[in-house]
Amino acid sequence: MSVEVEVDESDLAEMVEQVWESYLDPEGVSPLIPTYDENQPSEVHSSVSITGSWTGHVVYASSRAAAQRAAAAFLAMELEEVSEEDISDTLGELANIVGGNVKAMLPPGAQLSLPQVNLSPEASARFPNTQRISGVYGVWEGEPVSISMWQSSTDNKEEGA
Amino acid sequence: MTPMRAMVIDDSRAMRMILKRIVTKLNFEAVEAGDGKEAMDLLADMTEVPELALIDWNMPNMNGLEFVTKVRADPRLREMTLVMVTTESEQSQIVRALAAGAHEYVIKPFTEGAMIEKLALLGLVPTGANS
Repeated sequence: MSVEVEVDESDLAEMVEQVWESYLDPEGVSPLIPTYDENQPSEVHSSVSITGSWTGHVVYASSRAAAQRAAAAFLAMELEEVSEEDISDTLGELANIVGGNVKAMLPPGAQLSLPQVNLSPEASARFPNTQRISGVYGVWEGEPVSISMWQSSTDNKEEGA
Repeated sequence: MTPMRAMVIDDSRAMRMILKRIVTKLNFEAVEAGDGKEAMDLLADMTEVPELALIDWNMPNMNGLEFVTKVRADPRLREMTLVMVTTESEQSQIVRALAAGAHEYVIKPFTEGAMIEKLALLGLVPTGANS
């Protein structure tokens, strides 16, 4: 089964704003500043897969420095205290939170996977037969961060059928 | 005065740390579990049952809904206040969790203030604890 995607960039932007307000920038002093550049580089990424009424992936990607800063903010640590495990845990939870909220906007029947974390660039991600359909791209304290949705092309084909 | 105890159940260590930080600020002693099964195992060994459990939904081994159902079926654990803390925000999921016996439902992402407000509504925030 396939559905028309009802999650657009403004929905994603609103979710991202909530994540920043809740965990990454509770004081409201360093928001994610939009760049609208979907080709901005990344060094690490995390993702969750959604299957069912919509099939695809939600991906959080950033530079390593931004990931380290996110972990420090999430875990209330100093930057120099942040470990690889802290970065990995934080990236996974960020993908889980955004992915979970995306799923909530889809028609009933969507299932969310547990998060996958890759301490490698998003460009190296293995999302075969998918197409990026939406995203929020920005810089956070000068470092690139993006949240994007990748739709399975199988889903696309079914939509056109 | 004996501090209250809270069990923080989430497969994300990062989220456990956030929740632990909040409940510790409210003078709870916090115990962590990485999934529902680990939480049940810990509860089986406890002589005193925690007053509060903050429970993620999507976890390996035993998910949050299964945990809530098991707790509600155990008379020894019936005094525990159960709060789901999850990204599962569809109305149908909230209804399922409350029907299974959860007392409250907090959707991620949440601010510290929003979480404390929910716990205050449940009577779990001692006066002056959040100062």
